[in-house]
Amino acid sequence: MSTNTAQHKAPLLLGLLLLLQVLLMSWNARTQAGDQSVLRAWVMAVITPVAKGTGWTIDRVTGFFDGFAELRHARDENVQLKIEIERLTQERDEAVEKAAVKNNLEAELGLRLLPRFRSLAASVVSRNIAVWFRRLTIDRGSMDGIKKDMPVLTSSGIVGRVIEVGPNSSFVQLITDRYAGVGAMLQQSREMGEIRGQENSRCEMKAVAASVDVQVGDKIITTGLDGIYPKGLPVGTVESVENDANAPWKKILVKPSAPVDRVEHVFVLLIEPKDLKALEAFK
Amino acid sequence: MQTFKIAASIVVALLLQILFAKRFSFFQYVELPLVITVFFSLQRSPIQGMFVGMAAGLGLDIVSGGDAIGVRGFSFTLLGYVIAMGSIRFSLEQKPVRILVTAVASIANTVLFVGLCKVLEKNVLTNGPDELLKLALYKAIGDTAAGLILFILLDRIFPRTGSTTIKRRFYE
Repeated sequence: MSTNTAQHKAPLLLGLLLLLQVLLMSWNARTQAGDQSVLRAWVMAVITPVAKGTGWTIDRVTGFFDGFAELRHARDENVQLKIEIERLTQERDEAVEKAAVKNNLEAELGLRLLPRFRSLAASVVSRNIAVWFRRLTIDRGSMDGIKKDMPVLTSSGIVGRVIEVGPNSSFVQLITDRYAGVGAMLQQSREMGEIRGQENSRCEMKAVAASVDVQVGDKIITTGLDGIYPKGLPVGTVESVENDANAPWKKILVKPSAPVDRVEHVFVLLIEPKDLKALEAFK
Repeated sequence: MQTFKIAASIVVALLLQILFAKRFSFFQYVELPLVITVFFSLQRSPIQGMFVGMAAGLGLDIVSGGDAIGVRGFSFTLLGYVIAMGSIRFSLEQKPVRILVTAVASIANTVLFVGLCKVLEKNVLTNGPDELLKLALYKAIGDTAAGLILFILLDRIFPRTGSTTIKRRFYE
């Protein structure tokens, strides 16, 4: 095909390519929610190990040089850590004692103990690739037993939920995404509300009445009523509270407990919404 | 060989997008595949512009985890064609003009992307025209800054040849 002929066929080709994209959007919309489309599953199956391997190499190289810089502070840090270990050991002993007392009381009162959830560790491959969504890609997928709507967390608090699962990778919607919702309550007052994502890596706790006493620093935990997150997981702490005289609700800004915008490793709780419902019935 | 090099550029751009966005939060305002599309579209071949745009857009749709695969594919394909046609009719090869084209392409892409997502009822993080304008400006700055660096690199890998001038003559 000469350049001239090719160029004259360009508008026709443009129409065909745009039509192809429209068909792709339509086909993708019909894919069952929670499963990655075939196209995405194939591409992610290839690109996830490559991105993970490249990221690992970069981390090792930068970590090697950072290691030298950190050596200078190692002695002071060592002293601080020893003090911290002593304090944490004391706290752990107290916690173990409290747990033993709690278990005894529950047994005496005839309360049934809740099962512990199995979890799976995963590494973060990518994070917030585009400004339009708050998403993570993790290196675990359906081959590891991951399913849609499983909660994702760190030791410090919840991160989000699995929204799309491929063979070796999954997409996680962060709790800071504006379209994410978490059933939450204030740990002290047990007042319930809803957590919604906000800008700047923060969340807002909605539907808390203006009459409720809320203080900066109050802890927020999950209620277990949203059908995704089990009860009692840390969500965040109250960062600011505003009262609007014209609104029946408080405006509560929440700082997530987990470092959602820096997290490198997460745990996926291997629990599905139907398991949570069964658990509620069990309780 | 040229096709292979272009395909490799798109794959590398996608990989860098994944790696940089994880480490630098400001990188969410940058779309390297868009910059790649602008660069290859400015070589005055609408067909090349369209195919590079389609591949880069679809790739970004897939790895970004967005709900709608094909939205950026649509947007980048259209932009690739328009930029390539513009580069045939007007002289867009000067460096300052290329940067201006990148900024305009970025804003057009933002408007197309959000518009298509609204039509498809897909969720995107915009709350009204003010926020959309703010995001479009941030993205234009991010894409333009990335273009400044990437164009220097790509100019070395893909030096301009006489064929671009020949392509222009066919349309004049």
